[in-house]
Amino acid sequence: MTASDFKAGYLPGIADADVTWHRVNMGSPDAPLRVDMPLISAGQMAALAGRIRCASQAHLKTMQVSEIVRVLDVATARLLDQGDVYRQALERLLPLATGFASEMVRLNLNAYLHTFRALQLQRFVVEDFPNPKLLDEFQPRVKGGWSKAYGPDLLLHVWAGNVPALSLWSFVSGLLVKAGSIGKVSSAEPLFASLYARLLVDIEPRWSDCFAVVWWPSGGASHAEQHAFGLADVVTAYGGNAALQAMQANVPVTTRFLAHGHKLSFGVVSASALCAGTGPQLAHQLALDVARYDQQGCYSPHMVYVQRGGMVSPLEFAQYLTSSLAAVSHKLPQRGLSLEEAGQVSAWCNAYELEAVTNAHVTVMGGHAVWGTVVFSERSLPLCPGPLNRRVLVVAVDSLDDVAALVEQQRDFLQTAGVAASPEELLVLSDGLGRAGVTRVCALGAMTQPAAGWHHDGRFSLLDLVRMVDVEDSAERSGEQFTRYEI
Amino acid sequence: MLAIDQTACDLLVADVLGFMAKPRVSDEAFNALALRLFAHQFAHNMPFQRFCHSRGKTPRVVKDWRDIPAVPINAFKDLTLSCVAPQTCDRVFMTSGTTRGDVKGSHYHPSMAVYDASMLRNFDQHVMRGLKRVRMGILFPDEHLLPNSSLAHYLGLALASFATPDSAHYLNEEGLQIDLLCDALLDAQCAGEPFFLLGASFSFVHVMDELKARGLTFKLPTDSLLLDTGGFKGQSRDVPVEAFYQQLSATFGVSAERCLNMYGMTELSSQFYDAGNHTTASVKSGPHWIRSRLVEPLTGQAVAPGERGVLAHTDLANYNSVVTILTEDVGVMQDHGFVLLGRAQGTQAKGCSLAVDAFLKASAP
Repeated sequence: MTASDFKAGYLPGIADADVTWHRVNMGSPDAPLRVDMPLISAGQMAALAGRIRCASQAHLKTMQVSEIVRVLDVATARLLDQGDVYRQALERLLPLATGFASEMVRLNLNAYLHTFRALQLQRFVVEDFPNPKLLDEFQPRVKGGWSKAYGPDLLLHVWAGNVPALSLWSFVSGLLVKAGSIGKVSSAEPLFASLYARLLVDIEPRWSDCFAVVWWPSGGASHAEQHAFGLADVVTAYGGNAALQAMQANVPVTTRFLAHGHKLSFGVVSASALCAGTGPQLAHQLALDVARYDQQGCYSPHMVYVQRGGMVSPLEFAQYLTSSLAAVSHKLPQRGLSLEEAGQVSAWCNAYELEAVTNAHVTVMGGHAVWGTVVFSERSLPLCPGPLNRRVLVVAVDSLDDVAALVEQQRDFLQTAGVAASPEELLVLSDGLGRAGVTRVCALGAMTQPAAGWHHDGRFSLLDLVRMVDVEDSAERSGEQFTRYEI
Repeated sequence: MLAIDQTACDLLVADVLGFMAKPRVSDEAFNALALRLFAHQFAHNMPFQRFCHSRGKTPRVVKDWRDIPAVPINAFKDLTLSCVAPQTCDRVFMTSGTTRGDVKGSHYHPSMAVYDASMLRNFDQHVMRGLKRVRMGILFPDEHLLPNSSLAHYLGLALASFATPDSAHYLNEEGLQIDLLCDALLDAQCAGEPFFLLGASFSFVHVMDELKARGLTFKLPTDSLLLDTGGFKGQSRDVPVEAFYQQLSATFGVSAERCLNMYGMTELSSQFYDAGNHTTASVKSGPHWIRSRLVEPLTGQAVAPGERGVLAHTDLANYNSVVTILTEDVGVMQDHGFVLLGRAQGTQAKGCSLAVDAFLKASAP
């Protein structure tokens, strides 16, 4: 076999020669990327799990959270440093592997990484643990007794998709609760987690056995998956619902399973936000949300509800959005689409184009442009997913109160609402959206960049991983009887 | 919309028929007639006109047949694509509704003159190949049972124009007439007379299953021919193409070179044939009045030579509907035609966003 361009994985204690390597050809014919994925045996997986459990007890559980944050901060600083070899490897390899433009990867990496610096990480911890010392030692409780949070000895991550560096969230969450980790990378983006693991060990050699990055072919009855799930204390998995359901069936009932399914996000623009000056600006912000990673993220908007009655009409807003999509494509060009993807996008555009022939309420803007299509509907339409790759449906509504009802059918899938509304409207609107199933409300332009410490899909990133141990007041009081001295 | 001028319309039809009757034509002549048809359809078909406006393509700017807007086949479901009032049409063919539930596309034919001329001339050249009449068996219901089926009409026309009187349909409202078919095949085999068996691909699968259950195979005489069309469409078990033709050949004793596949669509008025299926990936070609291009589905631009693309057909026999259609079929160009690679299937979402395709699958009953 010819040499690969990248060997994925991080396998402490296992020599390369003892691993079966599976070649995945990524990239395009013009810019191929040959990646070798590690296929390890059941015995190697079991040995790896044992090694990581021991090491995490010896080297992670013994560190203070603040010390862990310091290591992670150094890692982030290095990844933000254009001169660092790891950063350079990411900038070189991620565009090839995922097809996203280099500039897109570069800008998004920076925006993403800056939420993983020390200040943000501490905020991330305190979001779930107002007293972070709970992760280090037993802490007194107000009403008596003591508590401490224990991270799992072995946390298994199953990452999915091609959005670069998506694995960072759960990788870091695991480390913050002092969990040993085995992460399974996706075939579409095996690079980031592999490099991140090596970088961490470079910075903190004591962590060399505290985690591993592995791979096995997904789908079907995967024995490797079943076996790995049996070894872990907690499994956190990403993917479509069908894939997650198949995984769930392999998780032992005593193992905690945290599933992150595919999600659906949208925008809401209030008439109060649609002045002559702010309207075009908001459209530009929304265009960035759409363009970033070509709408492939769970937080990427598929549709936008725009209220009538502002100085900028919903139709005009759609027109601004169209020209903004065209404009941002110069800096952030759309990834090349496969024939099948292009077919899917085209089918969506065709359907609205034909609808527009007979229905004056529908207008198609941008047509079949590579940089995007905006469909405007004067009639309100319920939220439904689009074909991604910069295709947006803009829908006019009379009142912000109408929006919750239009989205709530998708309750199981809802995630982010990008909102432009006045302070008076914001919480009222958010309450309606929250009841409909939305878990995150943010500004337009911030949709693809969740704040540090966000509640991913409405859950607790760190709390969900730990096991709380309570020493109750009765034990403390009872202990008082057994002192060597008299009280 | 301009009122239709019957004389002008008749003249157009006469010119299309004249074009088809020529032994060969120049690129210029094809282009000229395609543009005339486009202008005619643009003037007399309001939904099509609006569609063209939305693409910024009008007869004023389109000077090359390749620039005529290719109408997605779904438009036959959503729009009335006819230059004359639909109720005045002689026939309307409807799609089988395989792609979008029970919504069916309609293709209106004011008269069958052009469709029939297209079918007969092409069939004579590619299927009959010098034979005048031959005994035929049809594995498809007749036109009375399926009046809106273009395939039923096509096969009926083959029967009426090229078949001997002992030919018959072997599929009717009571289903497959396997006993009668076996008798006919045996008869042809004993008499040493060529036999043509034509029909839907899935019907051939049913016949082969039935014959296998009975332990029967045939050795049809030289010059016999099998012609299947339409794929399996969930109507029978799905058979890989190679295995299908191997099995056909083995069951009927007809060499794979004489097992033809016809590629046709309700949305077209002409058909494509290959020259046998002895090799996989057989090349399909059409008569001189239809031209095909491979395009990138989103932009509609021609793909680079050798690249896969979605097929767009410009069929001059489509004089009343739309002259250029965009299919959902993926192909690759070869010398003298194209190889079909199947339907453009959706792909799995790559990121973590719910995509329309996955969503439709999830919500399917």
